[in-house]
Amino acid sequence: MAEIVVKYEDKVIERIVTEKRRISIGRTNDNDIVLENRGVSRKHAMIEFNNNAAVIIDNESLNGTFVNNRKITEEVLRDADVITIGKYSLVYHTEATNTTDERSSLDGTMVLNTKKQKDMLENDRVEKQIVAKYGGSVLTGEENAEFAEYKLDREVTTIGKAKFVHIKAKGLFLAGIQAKVVSENNCFSLINLGQARKVKVNGESISRCVLKNGDLISIGKSTFKFVEGRG
Amino acid sequence: MRLAIVSDIHGNLEALHAVLRDIEDRQVDRIVCLGDVVGYGCDPVACLDLVAERCAVTLMGNHEHAVLGQLGDQPMNEVAQASMEWTKQRLDDRHLRIIERFPMDHTIENFYLVHASPHQPDKWPYILTPPAARRGFDATSAWMTFFGHTHLPTIFALSKGGQCRSRFGHDFQPLDENRYLVNVGSVGQPRDDDPRSCYVILDTNTVDVYYRRVPYDYKETQRKMVAADAPSLLVERLAIGR
Repeated sequence: MAEIVVKYEDKVIERIVTEKRRISIGRTNDNDIVLENRGVSRKHAMIEFNNNAAVIIDNESLNGTFVNNRKITEEVLRDADVITIGKYSLVYHTEATNTTDERSSLDGTMVLNTKKQKDMLENDRVEKQIVAKYGGSVLTGEENAEFAEYKLDREVTTIGKAKFVHIKAKGLFLAGIQAKVVSENNCFSLINLGQARKVKVNGESISRCVLKNGDLISIGKSTFKFVEGRG
Repeated sequence: MRLAIVSDIHGNLEALHAVLRDIEDRQVDRIVCLGDVVGYGCDPVACLDLVAERCAVTLMGNHEHAVLGQLGDQPMNEVAQASMEWTKQRLDDRHLRIIERFPMDHTIENFYLVHASPHQPDKWPYILTPPAARRGFDATSAWMTFFGHTHLPTIFALSKGGQCRSRFGHDFQPLDENRYLVNVGSVGQPRDDDPRSCYVILDTNTVDVYYRRVPYDYKETQRKMVAADAPSLLVERLAIGR
């Protein structure tokens, strides 16, 4: 039973638990999830469930559908993926948890011109360029104060202070190999091999974590962003 | 017209000042208050005076009803009862006469305003769930009703098919085909785990609804309450918004 947590500007406004095979999302009442905002198209997107896989499909909406800050037309959803539609975000869970605009002539949907929307579109453009350049997933970061991109094309990519690691990281008491990124089953996992609390994803200490597009990784004093090459 | 809708000030002068300042910056044409200006807080008189000066309409709330002794046999919890007695001692005849004139409800254009519910408004029911909202919808033909009383910013939408759903209060643009009951939250004693004052701005032309959250100096409010020997429950909840 999937759960979708609907948020507006980061505040939870509704939790939806559903067993339906198809969920429609849009501005009008005939949708399963109604988002009453003119930045949302009448029939904006839908989520389809097939053999335990959930796929979100954008219905050629005016302002677009984003998954983990990436603009999509169709995308397989994974647990905790964040779908952004206008000012709303919908967090998808495979299992229920306990807890100055102008209008388009088409259907009265407003063109979103907010900073967040612009930032997201710009971010999407840059990430797509990076992925196109390397043909796969990439970690972006800094090396000697220069912007650096590290292609994740190995089964194991090592990160730490040692000379032989694939990606260098800085910081006191950092291990020679502090962490590794492992490619398995079309996913990348980050594993902390050294002292606890030296490896964080989006601010939280982890020992092991499946990476999602846009995740911010900090290892010691170095920061990286995971740009996923799928889709 | 841009209408600011405030409710449940509860004698919290610091919160009211902060909200009025926020309203000044937002090109609002008119302010309305949905009641419970008094009760719980230390400044019932100052709040009544300020509301009388700034609000075009102020509705009767259950705390005003209680101060006037019109609650009849309806129960009030112990803390509310004690605070009502405290408040009553501070109001003179002039303020009681102001309160007496508060109407139970009011309509502006197509928008219906009431403190607790369109269903038995003088019995002060709490609309917390879709079934309770349904009784409210059944008692009015208004397309959109604004109310307070629960201190929880919430939007209830009733579809033509009779489906009623509730959501936490957020900026939205209502659909013509639905009807709405919109709880505007509380200025002086928020209870949605957010200590900031809450109120709503309605643009009656575009029918856009905006929720505003305004931080205020609750420590000053708490200081006054402690000095007035207010129950600790009332003092502490201001810091956590619960």
